[in-house]
Amino acid sequence: MKVILIALGVLILFTIIAYNRFIMLRNMANKAFSTIDVMAKKRYDLIPNLVATVQKYMEHERGTLVEVTELRARAMQGNLTPDERVNLENQITRTLGNIQVAVERYPELKATENFQQLQGALNEVEEQLSAARRAYNAAVIDYNNAVQMFPSNVFALVFNFKSRALLETPEIERQNVDVKKLFSN
Amino acid sequence: MKSLQEFESFYNQSLFREMEALDERRKKVLKRLLSIIIGTGGSMLLSVLAAIYLVSPEKDQHFIMVFVAPVVIFLLGVLAWSVWGRDKNFVADFKRQLIERIIHFISPDLTYQPYNFIGIDTFEQSRLFLTKIDRYNGDDYVFGQIDKTQFWFSEIKTEYKTTTSKGQTQWHTIFKGLFFVADFNKHFEGCTVVLPNRLGRGAIARILQKVNLSRREKLVKLEDPEFNKYFVVYGDDQIESRYVLSTSLMQRLIDFRRKHGNPLYVSFVSSFLFLAIGYTKDLFEPSYFRTLTKFESVKPYFEDISLAVGIVEDLNLNTRIWTKQ
Repeated sequence: MKVILIALGVLILFTIIAYNRFIMLRNMANKAFSTIDVMAKKRYDLIPNLVATVQKYMEHERGTLVEVTELRARAMQGNLTPDERVNLENQITRTLGNIQVAVERYPELKATENFQQLQGALNEVEEQLSAARRAYNAAVIDYNNAVQMFPSNVFALVFNFKSRALLETPEIERQNVDVKKLFSN
Repeated sequence: MKSLQEFESFYNQSLFREMEALDERRKKVLKRLLSIIIGTGGSMLLSVLAAIYLVSPEKDQHFIMVFVAPVVIFLLGVLAWSVWGRDKNFVADFKRQLIERIIHFISPDLTYQPYNFIGIDTFEQSRLFLTKIDRYNGDDYVFGQIDKTQFWFSEIKTEYKTTTSKGQTQWHTIFKGLFFVADFNKHFEGCTVVLPNRLGRGAIARILQKVNLSRREKLVKLEDPEFNKYFVVYGDDQIESRYVLSTSLMQRLIDFRRKHGNPLYVSFVSSFLFLAIGYTKDLFEPSYFRTLTKFESVKPYFEDISLAVGIVEDLNLNTRIWTKQ
């Protein structure tokens, strides 16, 4: 009888530890994800300023400017699936990258203080977004390891913790270095 | 940044003449040193031999000749060295005529103070070494600005002491080498510390790295396996550490670590970058046994200084594409 009680006690203890570990790992991933959200919103706030600043100079890039405005509007509407949202964010990153590259053809615009400040703020948000994405992926890998590895996977099955998908790095970020080179003074 | 070839022509055209005069002094000192060593050593040996062959072991003179005389002769040798042998200004002149010239050749805007060094407060602020310091010393302080980045560096040696059961004090080195501080190009609040990975990448290493009781910062697992081979990272904030250590900076740190091969410690605190490179040799010091009139023997001084000043370029600190200007 005593042995059974002890075994039961140990099992309950393990279950509590395992459960709390899953919660902790999931919360860490959620925290990183909410930072991505915060940074994405910060970026939405910068887009109208950017468009307003550059449109006077960049007549020929009107299409790109309209595109980024539309993308922003769509992202801000909400009611998107996570996949759609990720796709949209990647498109925004790419379009903003295109605008920044196009600016190279407008030295007058590039020299304005307003634009330089905006460019600094945009680069900062992009880098913070990338950091948050990397932190999210690191947290998800820890969480997924716990979900998939024995013996914790047994508890994951019992409590219905499921693996989560990693965020892909957008193409533009992989070419980060080249883009930055263009802006180094 | 000046190349080695540029330095070689600067050395041949301008430095070489001055080095000839300095090298004459070095040779003179070396000759005196050798004669003192030969004189003292020979006299010590003679006194012992004389005692053994000429004086019987029972007599007092035997004891004096074998034990007391060598000590007295040795002390006389040391006295001769300090009064007549050494050139008191040699080190100072070496630093002024060679080290300072090299520093100004690399960048005329830099300031060099041979007998000054980075303060202990700054060293402790870096959070790189948490052992309590009992002795702190250094020299060869250089500071200035390259393009938009201000920086400082100096040689630093820090030690802690322990006492044995017999009451003897023993000194142990915490860090010895080059300590570098620069204004970092991004704003950030917390602290991120990059330390050499001494444990490897196995499962046990990971557990030990995670349970680092001496640090308040938490382990930050980064995604680059090459980076993890060389370094282990701790930070106050997982996201901020990744913001500071962008993928391109990680690559630059790997390249920098490969370039010089010594242990590398880097930290980011209060918008400053702290970087410590461990060296076993004394940096920027002359050797009486190495000629100054050959380019090959002057080259290492240039390389050491270039490495330190080059950190600004190697880590891309002048790129100010974020809000911090």
